Amino acid sequence: MSHDFPTLLLVMAAAAFFCRAAGFTLMRLVPVSARIEAALRATPLAVMSGIAALAVQSGGLAEGVALAAVVGLTVLIGSDVAAALLGVVLVALLRWAGL
Amino acid sequence: MAAAPFTLAGFRRGLRDGLPLGLSIFAYGLGFGLVAAQAGFGIARAVTTSAAIYSGSAQLAAVNLLQSGQATLWALFATILVVNARYILFGAALQPWLWQAGPLRAYGSLLLLGDANWMQTMRAIRAGEEDRAYLAGTGTPMLAGWLSGTALGAGTVGLLPRPEVMGLDLMLAAFAAAMAAAMVRARADLVPIAAGAGAALAVAPSLGPGAAIIGAGLAGGAVAALMHRNAA
Repeated sequence: MSHDFPTLLLVMAAAAFFCRAAGFTLMRLVPVSARIEAALRATPLAVMSGIAALAVQSGGLAEGVALAAVVGLTVLIGSDVAAALLGVVLVALLRWAGL
Repeated sequence: MAAAPFTLAGFRRGLRDGLPLGLSIFAYGLGFGLVAAQAGFGIARAVTTSAAIYSGSAQLAAVNLLQSGQATLWALFATILVVNARYILFGAALQPWLWQAGPLRAYGSLLLLGDANWMQTMRAIRAGEEDRAYLAGTGTPMLAGWLSGTALGAGTVGLLPRPEVMGLDLMLAAFAAAMAAAMVRARADLVPIAAGAGAALAVAPSLGPGAAIIGAGLAGGAVAALMHRNAA
């Protein structure tokens, strides 16, 4: 590696900030119609289910059972934080049990 | 246009809602610290990398590249751009709400944007959150957790059990599943959920998880846009 660490750090920070700022900046040029707003509002749900689906795909039965339990627990106890933490405990137990 | 509220009260609300996210990010930070230490980064370099990039997946990719000895500055820039491209979508989704805070506050808040607090903030917006300081509030415990986790992981490499043993690698997915379950209000909300999961599973095997998340967001947005036209 021919560059010193501060230079590398600067380049990495610039790339990371570019990603954080680019979508925001571009959207300032786009008039936000009701339909675009509906699309933007739907993206979090789609990203959340995408993240969960990928975890099951790359994991397996233990991850699938734990995330299904998280969804059930969220509806049941009404606290998403508690449900998520219980899901993490459950997957640790399932892995320990060899699932 | 009148500036939107950006108050200490909103920041505190975000801080409170961000605390559990900070705990989960702490666990991810541990993981990155371990990897960075194994790649020959000391604590200081690991922590400054975490502060500069503030994204686990991009940092792991960058450390991999630096370790290979093939890292040109352009390759490094491009790698982070590709891995973090989902943030372009996240920023776009926040824009109609966040820009009303004014450019300085908006771009400052975007420095604290992560996966988990983006989901949390989008959820709060949907529930009627008006205070634009909420985003920075949720991001603050996350950044603290990320940096302290990195330091501890890099400093205690070899002493701690691996995060997977404790199930901590599933933390983001667990929060994602829980937040989605809590956000569903109507049957129509299940459509972007199905589209997102389907797109992620279809894209991941060939293009990797970063592209899969972008695919999920775009697919969910597209079906919502189509449904909106039908409803109008």
